[in-house]
Amino acid sequence: MQTETHEGTAAEGHGSAGGLPQFDFAQWPGQIAWFLIMFFAVLAFMRFFAVPKVGGTIEAREGKIAGDIADARRMKDEADAQAAAAAAEAAQARAGAQRVAAEARAKAQAEIAARLAEEEAKLAATGAAAEARIATARAAAMVNVAGIGAETAGAIIEKLTGKKATAAELAAARG
Amino acid sequence: MAQQPAIEPMHQFLIEKIWQGPVFQLGGLNVDMSITNSVASMLAGALMLMAFFALTARGEIVPNRGQALAESLYNIVDRVLVTPIIGHGGRPYVPYLFTLFCVILVLNLMSVVLSVGHLAGQDWTFAVTSQLAVTATLAVLTFFSILALGFIKHGPKFLGLFWVPGMGIAGGAAMVVIEMISYFVRPVTLAMRLFGNILGGHVVMSLFGSFVIALAIVGLSGGLASLAFIPSVLSFSMIVALSGLELVVAVLQAFVFTALATVYLNEVVNFGHGH
Repeated sequence: MQTETHEGTAAEGHGSAGGLPQFDFAQWPGQIAWFLIMFFAVLAFMRFFAVPKVGGTIEAREGKIAGDIADARRMKDEADAQAAAAAAEAAQARAGAQRVAAEARAKAQAEIAARLAEEEAKLAATGAAAEARIATARAAAMVNVAGIGAETAGAIIEKLTGKKATAAELAAARG
Repeated sequence: MAQQPAIEPMHQFLIEKIWQGPVFQLGGLNVDMSITNSVASMLAGALMLMAFFALTARGEIVPNRGQALAESLYNIVDRVLVTPIIGHGGRPYVPYLFTLFCVILVLNLMSVVLSVGHLAGQDWTFAVTSQLAVTATLAVLTFFSILALGFIKHGPKFLGLFWVPGMGIAGGAAMVVIEMISYFVRPVTLAMRLFGNILGGHVVMSLFGSFVIALAIVGLSGGLASLAFIPSVLSFSMIVALSGLELVVAVLQAFVFTALATVYLNEVVNFGHGH
């Protein structure tokens, strides 16, 4: 309420109509006219420059960010797919290597077994030939032994009896 | 006490002519196109506003500070008000609402931030939005534009806005009267809210400013009167605190005016969807 008494003096001091200066309606038309001019100038500026520019920039940025995120996601998917493919390839290669190694091992073992059998067969053959030779030699030796025995027996008989025993008698005596 | 200056908190709202312009006659009214302190302030505000956006709207993907500020202001209108309240149908009205917000904001802030007092015998920090003529123009322009838009978009059906269903004929008719009163009081409240807030803040600041000087002069007379320096300093600290408050009010009132305009516009754009 204090303000009201003062505003009266203030207004009087400046030769105004009294009361709040804002209610001096003589000042309204000019202020309104200028304000409308100013407001529509700013509106035109905003409508044709500021809003398209600022709003456009914000939208462009959001579009760019969304696009970048989509790109990054797509690249990540691609990288994941490639990693999976590489892992599958590696697994395949490992399986292949293991198969080759197993094959090589089997082949080597088969070769070793074959060579072993071959050598054993050779050894057996050699042994058999040797045995055959031994048997032949023994048979020959036995024949010689029989001849030596007959001769010895003939000589003994001749010494004891004084007469020679015939070959047929000797053979019969040996039985 | 004779040398004590008069406490005149209303003096700051007086219109003073700087340059005599042409005077038009329009419907029996004298339209004086003189440049006054009020007109000079609003033109300066408009120029600062346009210069700000001309300099900061650079369209960079990574904004600098100025561009970030411009975009923040834009987002207050676009992302905080129009999109949540109206939705996509509100897009064409963003320029108007953004202009509304920026004009009120710059005029409010100017009157607080640039309060450097008299310069060259002229009060250069005129609070344009403390002029009822200006706030009423903004309110009437906004309100009737929205009302006209309602009839342009929906024709006579738009009168259905005042009809409250489920009240019967008599009850409905009574409600139409109440609804119409509450509807047409909108421009008045829009204008008075902004005018009152800015006026009140400036009156209080001016009063405390006068106290600082008046009490200091009393204190200078020495003796027991020196105690008057204490309330003088307290008054000064009040001005500092009030300046902070007025900055908040300046931004808040620009936001409130624009938010209400957006809500009113929503009734027009989404008429028939929400009922």
